[in-house]
Amino acid sequence: MNDANIDADANDRMLLQRMAAGDRAALAVLYRSYHGRLCRFLSRLTRRADVIEETINDCFWVAWQKADGFHGDSRVSTWLMGIAYRCGLKALRQHGDEAVESDPLSEERFSAHDPDEDRELRDWLGKGLDRLSVDQRVVIELVYGVGHSLDDVAVIMQCPVGTVKARLFHARVKLRNVLPGLAGNSPLNKENAP
Amino acid sequence: MTFPLDAGRDCARAWEAMPWVLQGSAPPEQSAWLTDHLAHCASCRAEFAQQTRLRHAMSLPTDIPLDANAGLKRLLGRLDAPDIQDAPLHARSGTWFTRALVAAVLVQAIGIGTLGMRLWSENPSASYRTLSQAALPAPVGAIHVVPDASMKLADWNALLRTLRLQVVGGPNDVGAYTVVSAGPGTDEPSTLQQLRASHGIRLAEPVSTRP
Repeated sequence: MNDANIDADANDRMLLQRMAAGDRAALAVLYRSYHGRLCRFLSRLTRRADVIEETINDCFWVAWQKADGFHGDSRVSTWLMGIAYRCGLKALRQHGDEAVESDPLSEERFSAHDPDEDRELRDWLGKGLDRLSVDQRVVIELVYGVGHSLDDVAVIMQCPVGTVKARLFHARVKLRNVLPGLAGNSPLNKENAP
Repeated sequence: MTFPLDAGRDCARAWEAMPWVLQGSAPPEQSAWLTDHLAHCASCRAEFAQQTRLRHAMSLPTDIPLDANAGLKRLLGRLDAPDIQDAPLHARSGTWFTRALVAAVLVQAIGIGTLGMRLWSENPSASYRTLSQAALPAPVGAIHVVPDASMKLADWNALLRTLRLQVVGGPNDVGAYTVVSAGPGTDEPSTLQQLRASHGIRLAEPVSTRP
C-alpha cells in the first residue's frame, strides 16, 4: 500500500468512526467518495441503473449500521467493496435476469456525451466482459479497475487466494482470446488457450 | 494451472507480473525485470499492450448515469424511516413469531390447568404410598384373616362377597390378609363369627388399633 492509499484509508477510518457516533455528514462524505467506484464495480454485475443505486444504498445502509463493528482488519475500501459485492449478488438473486439487462433509454442518453474514443474502448471491453462469468468480471474489475491485491480480492469475495488466482487466470485467458488485439490484430494464440 | 502460451519460463513470469506492474503495486525490481523482458519479447509486448488497454478501459468512469446526490438523499430518507424500510420486515416476522409462541404457551398452560382440575375433582382423596414408606395403620374395624393354603381363590372371593368384605392389605409374612367391611350396616363381631365358622379359614382376629 502506497502513501496515498495509507492516507486515504486513515481518512476513511476516521469517517467510519464518526459514522459509528451517528454523524451523517461523515456518511455523506464517504458516500460521495465511493459512489463512482461502487457504481462502476456494480455495473460489472448489472446494467440496470435503478438496481445499482439500490445496491449502493443497501451497501451504505449496512455500513451505517455496522460502522462501530469495523475493527480495522482490512482497509475500509476492502470492507466496503465486500459489502457491495454481497449486496450486489443479493440484488442479482432478487431481480433475476432482468437485472443484467440495461435500460436502453439511459444508455442512449449517456452515450451521447461519451467521447468517440471512450465509446470505442467501452465497446471493445464490453465484448470481452460479456464472455466472462460474474465472478470473473468481478475479479477483473477489482484487480484492473480498482487496483486491489489478490489478498484484498480474496477478502472481498470471501474465498481463498488460490480461487481468486484461478478466476483471474481464466478471465485473462478468455479476454485475451476474445478481445481483438491492437491495430486490428487477430486474437493471440487462440489455439493454445485452455 | 499453466501459462496459456507455449512459451518459456520468462514469458510465464511476465504474464504473472503484468497486472501488478500495471497497478503499480509490483516491487521495483519486478517492474524493471518485466521492462527488460518486454524489450526483446514481441509476444509479451503485444500481450502487455493489450493488458494496458484493458486496464485503461476498466478505469474509465462508469457509463451508467447515476446521480450521487440523489442517491444519498434517498439513503438519508431511508435512515430517517428505518421501520418502513428494512427493519419492519424483520420486526414484523419477529412479532408474528413471538405471538405464535405466546399463543402456543397459553394453549399449553390452559390444557395443563384443565387436566389438573379434572384429576383433582375426580379423586380428591386419592393418596399414594411408595414401597419405602412405612405401612399405614389398619383402619378401624379391620380383621386379620388367614385362609387355608388349600382354599381356592373362587371360594375366597365368594366368601368376601358374601360377608361384604374388602381386602385392604396383605398377605403379610404369615399369610394374613387385612379385610374391612365394604359397606355400611355390617357388624364386626358378627362378621368375625361368620369368618371363623367359614370353611377354609384358619384364623380370623380383629386388628387391635391400640397398642
